[in-house]
Amino acid sequence: MADGLPDRDISRGTKWLLLVSSLVVIAIMVGEARSNLSAEWRRHQKEYHKLLLAKALDEANKETARSFNIALQQVVVPELGVTDRCVSCHTGIDNPHMADEKQPYRLHPGTFLKDHPVSRFGCAICHRGQGAAVNNADAKAVHAYWDYPMLPGKMVQASCGQCHDPKAMKGRGGDILARGARLFESSGCRACHKLGGRGGALGIALDDEGRRIIHQLPLTELKGEHTVWNWLAEHFRDPRGVVPTSQMRNPTLTEPEIEALTTYILSLSKLTIPEDYITPDKYEQKYEALRPGRPNGAELYRQFCFSCHESGTYSRWDKISGRFIPAIRGKALAASPAGYLRRNIELGRDGTQMPGWRKSGGGLSNSEIGALEAYIRGGVKPVEMTASAQGRGNAGRGRALFAQNCRGCHGSGGKGGVAPALGSATFLSVASDAFILSTIKNGRPDTAMPAFQRAGTAGLTDVELTDLLAYIRSMK
Amino acid sequence: MEKPALTQFIDNLKSVPDAARRAFLKNGLPESERERSQMSFHNFFLHMQSVRTHKHSLRWTYTLGLGIIATAALIILTATGVLLMVYYKPSTELAYYSMKDINYVVFGGRIVRNVHRWAAHLMVVAALLHMARVFYTGSYRRPREVNWLIGLGLLVMTLALSFTGYILPWDQLGYWAATIGANIAQSPREVTDAFGITHAVDVGGLGKQMLLGASFVGEDALLRFYVLHCVVLPGLLMTLLGLHFWRIRKDGGLSRPESVDKPGAPDYKPVQPGIFKPGTEKTYGLMALVKGSKPTVGTAPENTVMSWPHLMYAEAAVFALTMAITLVLGYFLNAPLKEIANPMVPENPAKAPWYFLGLQELVSYSAFMGGIGIPTITLVSLALIPFLDRKGSDVGIWFGGAAGKKVFWQSVLFGAMVTVGMLALTITQGWLRTWIPNIPQLVITVVNPGTVLVGLYAWWSLSNIKRHNSIRMGAVAMFTVFLVGFILLTYVAAIHRGPNWHFYWLHSQWPPH
Repeated sequence: MADGLPDRDISRGTKWLLLVSSLVVIAIMVGEARSNLSAEWRRHQKEYHKLLLAKALDEANKETARSFNIALQQVVVPELGVTDRCVSCHTGIDNPHMADEKQPYRLHPGTFLKDHPVSRFGCAICHRGQGAAVNNADAKAVHAYWDYPMLPGKMVQASCGQCHDPKAMKGRGGDILARGARLFESSGCRACHKLGGRGGALGIALDDEGRRIIHQLPLTELKGEHTVWNWLAEHFRDPRGVVPTSQMRNPTLTEPEIEALTTYILSLSKLTIPEDYITPDKYEQKYEALRPGRPNGAELYRQFCFSCHESGTYSRWDKISGRFIPAIRGKALAASPAGYLRRNIELGRDGTQMPGWRKSGGGLSNSEIGALEAYIRGGVKPVEMTASAQGRGNAGRGRALFAQNCRGCHGSGGKGGVAPALGSATFLSVASDAFILSTIKNGRPDTAMPAFQRAGTAGLTDVELTDLLAYIRSMK
Repeated sequence: MEKPALTQFIDNLKSVPDAARRAFLKNGLPESERERSQMSFHNFFLHMQSVRTHKHSLRWTYTLGLGIIATAALIILTATGVLLMVYYKPSTELAYYSMKDINYVVFGGRIVRNVHRWAAHLMVVAALLHMARVFYTGSYRRPREVNWLIGLGLLVMTLALSFTGYILPWDQLGYWAATIGANIAQSPREVTDAFGITHAVDVGGLGKQMLLGASFVGEDALLRFYVLHCVVLPGLLMTLLGLHFWRIRKDGGLSRPESVDKPGAPDYKPVQPGIFKPGTEKTYGLMALVKGSKPTVGTAPENTVMSWPHLMYAEAAVFALTMAITLVLGYFLNAPLKEIANPMVPENPAKAPWYFLGLQELVSYSAFMGGIGIPTITLVSLALIPFLDRKGSDVGIWFGGAAGKKVFWQSVLFGAMVTVGMLALTITQGWLRTWIPNIPQLVITVVNPGTVLVGLYAWWSLSNIKRHNSIRMGAVAMFTVFLVGFILLTYVAAIHRGPNWHFYWLHSQWPPH
């Protein structure tokens, strides 16, 4: 060779680099192969195999134990879109011999798997979590990039609601869920939240609330774990502690009630479940919604009205909305003419938080509104309105009178203040002249509205009342 | 007498291994230089390289192995990519879950995916640095102008490949990055809107439609990105890469300073003519025209060594190094896979892949300028360099010597100062819109922190041409300030931009959602 030795030396460094790099490559490949071969689920299955062998007493069981094959296990249920590999570690999930073992070898508690065989349901359809994962942390997926982490403890009952009527789950392994469902109806949640098309519009509709993912919730103020269930629970403890602008009333709930309500909210889902999986009680729930029985006014009041009006026999100052919420039951109504109350329920009062409750609004049927009206009126007869206007009033003078006497509570221009907005289209269309006049004259019992023309007081003259009426009518 | 055919058959069967070895390796590993050169000639994969390699080309400090690293990354990407294709299903229903399967149940799937991801990042880095190396050693000059342009094409292909791969997992990260990409494609609307002609000439909308096949990122977009990522772009890239390699040989191998082949250079070894002994039984016609007075034998051009094995060792070592780097990264650091793509839950901030973050920062000033205008200006400037800076004897010398090194460091300083200054101004004081709320968008499109920076960079470059009376110095200045700008903008966008693209010193100061 002409170049001699230097030619060989020139590659010395690269040879070393090649050697070292190759060794690193081999080491990593071996390491990766090893970690694939000693995966968590393989270790568990080895342990399970030992348990099987130890527990096998008769020949048949021994044969089964001996023939146990260590392999990745998965449940595939195409109808539910399920591919769950949980059984790769929870190999003994439906093996009665494993009742007393520790996790993950233990038999599933209760009789749930009898009615819900793993092969037909998988695991994550009830427990949530990441069924595709093959290690514990990723399967629970609480702090992983996964939309639906595993539900903790008893909250798994939320999943029953996908195929069952939550209320029917009482005594059938879903007590907490059933309690939550009852609480939902009795706590007046529907006053602001729609569910199945029935409810107010102040809050968000809850039909798919159980499938919310954590990133859709405001977390800035959330104390504790960043999970949907913790958010819901905290929100029930103190709505404004989680969402500072929330208008939700502070529900006064005990901790078990909070757990129950959280579980129920988590059960609300619009996910389509194949028909085969839907239970008769779920169909009954749907049937009831379509063919409701005789409406019960008291119950309806509790569901839709109580949250704001409370008992309805007094008007009360609401700190959150910064206005008076009027009394609507009993004597306060004595002064309202027939039809006035009903139309208020149907149409709501625009400019206030009061929504309309007819079918296209809050979703109540005519007969339900009738029942509600009857309950609210409580047998008090509508009063015949006799007051009448003295000729045509002067709106200009009325305006000055309004500023003197009314604006303090009803706000300027009838926009409403602590007292109802008189400029409301509903009010102006529903209230008759006689009603307005006699209300000013006599006040509304049990409310902050005083009488402006009572015997023995200075009060307003009939002409002044007419002027006021003219002004109120001019508000649009 | 011939053997019976059956016996012959059995003998042949027995000697298959020997015969095969002969067929593939001829006479075993090469012993002599002649055999070594044949090794290069006769092997399809090796014949692309010349039989002898200049020693200067093998210097670690000259090439830094960057071109080979990028190529090695490409080979790794092809291999791992094909493996991933076996399991990947390009549909919005299945894509995400096939990623989960690759991660959880495919043997070695996790590391294959991780290596693919890391090799992709590495390829982008290596390609960028390779370009910087070629630039700073002046290797774009004649006759290598065309290869510089091909290299630019390869860089664009590399970025496009990396970006199209980003969306394929169909997770939140890729989904929103693709959405940003689509909005950038739509950004010419900023200009057409300003002129009020969008209804007639909607270039931006058309670009977005072409990219996504719809007005949003969905099934069609996924399939398009998949086809681009797995078929179109690799095909184009491989073709360009073949051209790139071929041109290296056509242009006389890697660039090197003229001085290394001149007598007196440290490594210079003059050709020692051998003595040509005519054979006694042959007659000799004219075999070659040679320089000098007599044919030389048994020696080679100055300062070259046999490519087999020296270049082979170097290439194999860099390839192994690339494998080692990607495997180590892939073993310890998982490629990200966020939640399944969800159009209802925007990522905030939604960030493009890191190499586009500099552009995203510019996009936050003006979508059109950041997404289309300034990248075009940059690419055109880069493409023009070999045609503007034509003459000079400093090819193959880093920064073209001591003066260039000085210009380089001055440019680093200048680039850092104006970029940081402009960022600080924008972050603390806002921009024209903050000061004059009703300002027309067109003014902001033309005058925004991005264009002002480009203007400053251009001024710096021109002033260097004037000051040093050298186009090369102007080029060094311009390339350097652009590089510094790119790095700083990328850094700020990657580290300091949080929700709503607000500035945060630390990630821990981000409000939770």
